[in-house]
Amino acid sequence: MENIDRRKFIGKTALAGIGLAGAGAIISACKRKPDSQALGLPPILKGAPKGKKLRAGLIGVGARGTGAAINFISAGPDLEIIALADVFQDKIDACRERFASFKLPIPAENCFTGFDGYKKLMALPDVDVVILATPCKFRPEHFLEAVNTNKHVFMEKPVAVDPVGIRSIITTAKKAAAIGLCVVTGTQRRHQEDYIETYKQVVGGAIGRITSAKAFWNQDHVWFREREKEWNDMEYMIRNWNNFCWLCGDHILDTHVHNIDVINWFLGKHPEKAVGYGGRARRVTGDQYDFFSIDLDYGNGVSSHSMCRQIDSCSNSTGELVMGTEGYTNCCNTIWDLNGKIKWQFEYPKDENGNPMNAVKIPPYVQEHMHLVHAIRTGNYVNEAETTAISTLTAIMARTAAYTGRTVTWDDIFKSDMDLGPKKIEFGPVDMVFETPVPGTPVAL
Amino acid sequence: MSLKNHQGQTFVSRKTKAIFIVVGILITLVVLISGKAVVSYTSSDKYCVSCHIHPMADQSWKLSAHYNNRTGHIVHCAECHLPPEGHGYLLAKAKHGFKDVYGYLFKDSARINWEEKKLLDNARGFVYEKSCLGCHQNLFPVKLSVDGSNAHLFYTTSKEPLACINCHLNVGHYDKNALHAHNTNFGVAVTINQANYSEATHVEKFENFNEKIPGSNVSFDMVAIPGGKYLMGSPDNEPLRNSDEGPLRKVTLSRFWIARNEVTWDEYMAFFRATGSQGRTEGQVVTKKNVDAITGATPPWGAPDQGWGKGSRPAITMTWHAASVYCQWLSKVTGKKYRLPTEAEWEYACRAETQTPYFFAGNPKNFTSTGLFRKLFKPDTAGIASRVVYKVNSSSKTKEPQSVKANPFGLKNMSGNVAEFCLDFYSPDTYKRDTTEAVNPRGPDSGQEHVIRGGSFKSDAADVRSAARDFTKTKAWLVTDPQMPKSIWWYSDCIDVGFRVVCEADNSTQK
Repeated sequence: MENIDRRKFIGKTALAGIGLAGAGAIISACKRKPDSQALGLPPILKGAPKGKKLRAGLIGVGARGTGAAINFISAGPDLEIIALADVFQDKIDACRERFASFKLPIPAENCFTGFDGYKKLMALPDVDVVILATPCKFRPEHFLEAVNTNKHVFMEKPVAVDPVGIRSIITTAKKAAAIGLCVVTGTQRRHQEDYIETYKQVVGGAIGRITSAKAFWNQDHVWFREREKEWNDMEYMIRNWNNFCWLCGDHILDTHVHNIDVINWFLGKHPEKAVGYGGRARRVTGDQYDFFSIDLDYGNGVSSHSMCRQIDSCSNSTGELVMGTEGYTNCCNTIWDLNGKIKWQFEYPKDENGNPMNAVKIPPYVQEHMHLVHAIRTGNYVNEAETTAISTLTAIMARTAAYTGRTVTWDDIFKSDMDLGPKKIEFGPVDMVFETPVPGTPVAL
Repeated sequence: MSLKNHQGQTFVSRKTKAIFIVVGILITLVVLISGKAVVSYTSSDKYCVSCHIHPMADQSWKLSAHYNNRTGHIVHCAECHLPPEGHGYLLAKAKHGFKDVYGYLFKDSARINWEEKKLLDNARGFVYEKSCLGCHQNLFPVKLSVDGSNAHLFYTTSKEPLACINCHLNVGHYDKNALHAHNTNFGVAVTINQANYSEATHVEKFENFNEKIPGSNVSFDMVAIPGGKYLMGSPDNEPLRNSDEGPLRKVTLSRFWIARNEVTWDEYMAFFRATGSQGRTEGQVVTKKNVDAITGATPPWGAPDQGWGKGSRPAITMTWHAASVYCQWLSKVTGKKYRLPTEAEWEYACRAETQTPYFFAGNPKNFTSTGLFRKLFKPDTAGIASRVVYKVNSSSKTKEPQSVKANPFGLKNMSGNVAEFCLDFYSPDTYKRDTTEAVNPRGPDSGQEHVIRGGSFKSDAADVRSAARDFTKTKAWLVTDPQMPKSIWWYSDCIDVGFRVVCEADNSTQK
């Protein structure tokens, strides 16, 4: 009893958006189409509303960071990027040049390099919003500093590489909620109108009771960097971060987390346990796998098959599928009945020739920034950090199941003290071995 | 006569009724007129202190964070000791009020065991969770530390019933021994008064000896227990027995040494200092294979000795795992074979050739404090109180060995003081499995929890009987531990368990 009372209490006080549990309750409770707000769905906007000028600092100015910063300024009026931080000067230079080419110069004194550059950036009183886009190993400490310095946050997924980082994200999310700092994460499918409308159909009972799911991200090999002579261990790993588990979390986090997040979203909960396989067949550098196949057990006989691969010349596809007692959906735009006949389809906007387009008009990468700015300017609070942390932890549980070969439960992984990477983050030699995990080898969870 | 008598009785009865009605009306009026004032007056600090004649409660409150803090805000008695209004406030007020009036009228405050009332289990009865949360509405303030954040995350996600005071017991009443942090200084401050032993005691014969722990100035007595046969368990007609103590089984044991006393803090600290691992990752299980590099306990959370002092008091709150690593370490430094006793060895040593409920004369029924009869008559303590540290005489603390008499084998505190780990896994039907005569029997091959024996300072007389069995409750004993994963070295929620060692009489001494 006490426990239930306490949860109610916490539910009331915490402002964190209606999470997985809330959506799940609604799914099971009713079949009629509930409204977006009750489902915790973001508003679909044509642009962010007008309001006080918002100045953002970008931390991690690589390809995705620069992209996110451009998405931010294109979300609405009076949005600026005024500061940059990155560990490498050459990255800063490239990003500044890019913004200068838009006639949006970023002052040199607001650009910071090194591992503590983010602290200097966040110390700037003019910065209202920070965009966190470094390799996700650093996300927890950056997020905590952002909340300590009262910044609203946009952060890229995944949000951490290990359970210690995940717990940090969740507690920081609660701290942000307590003082009204908005947080949007880069799980853009949740901001995509076609996904949102499909979700509403499913919640409304269009496929009946959910019985199984699958999620897949199978693609060609991704980028890697060979080591250059003058690079020390740390510089090499960070320049090649996409291939080291302690920085990237492996590709089951880096990319496949999008699909896993959609399944958690549609099923209204996280899985109870994971068991599965993975290996390294073709990857050239680093310590990660290049394929995974995991059974995520959501309880009561409901499983999701999660697979991802980064190997050339194989069958590639990316997406989700959720199966129910009365039909199935690709989560993205279509619902079929059990005979494969289309029951419902999302209507895409038409192009200038009157033909339907194959995507929503406003890219979801921009839509999510509109949502953040909307929340800040209108007071309709948003905080997606915990939800994305849960999805990231789901991927970590799956990865650990493959790395160890053992069944990993939610409780195991939620309470695990796994804390990847060197204890001291500084340029120079790193006295650690980065071996590719072999299933069946005892690994401390 | 009879008529008059009858009338007289009727008259008295009417008069009483009238008084009741008048008084009733008056009370109702007073309550109606001054209701709110009365309720709030009787919840004021002044009113509380006027009856609660235990000045240390008042003093410790004034020293606590709920009174003596930076903000200047004072949290009053009833703000913690009653639920918030609308959450059973009046009912709780009536319940406590009734108890208080009863205590005020019929009990002597000086004889009430206030120390015992401060223990967590008791405090949960008069500190209201809703009241804590009523004021502490934000469990994640921005400046909360990483440890604090994780602990609160653990609290909000725990499936076990967990109260604020599990961790914050002393926020309302200051306790100088309480520590709400990792006790990183634990075992660090060492005063060495005498030379350390350079080697362990050399043992040639099977007789009592005093073991010296090399590298320390600590020694302890080992008692030689001759091998023999006995009936393990309790007969069906033993008062207050439990079914897991039977059926009686014939057991034959080889000889062994067993420690005269429960492992003391002095002994345990020698181990902790020699092997303690500051900041080592929890969860790495030490296996028999790597005893050469025994890694011992991490620093505990808070004060494992509960502020009662260490010295020759029994060491407590270590996990079964920690106790077993202690034995591995002791074996390594002494060159002997130390381990936890098997359950059969433990009971044999405790009985010391007696076959009665206790190793001394007496009937559990007369000693117990439970049952309806005991509400009316005090239990008999003669005979038991001088030999066993249990609920009645312990003041809710462990005691030093000199406070009790030994059993016929010369062993102290086999019954009571602290419950003792055994080597065996617990199963309620251990005795039923083999009814034939068992030689050096062991418990089940696998299991979750281990046997603990002897009862503790918290136990009723019924549970310190020689045959009484109990077992570890790992989950419950780690409920409050905020670490993820939980400590493998220290129980956060069990203060009455310890152990004693057995030394195997190996071939070298069997001549």
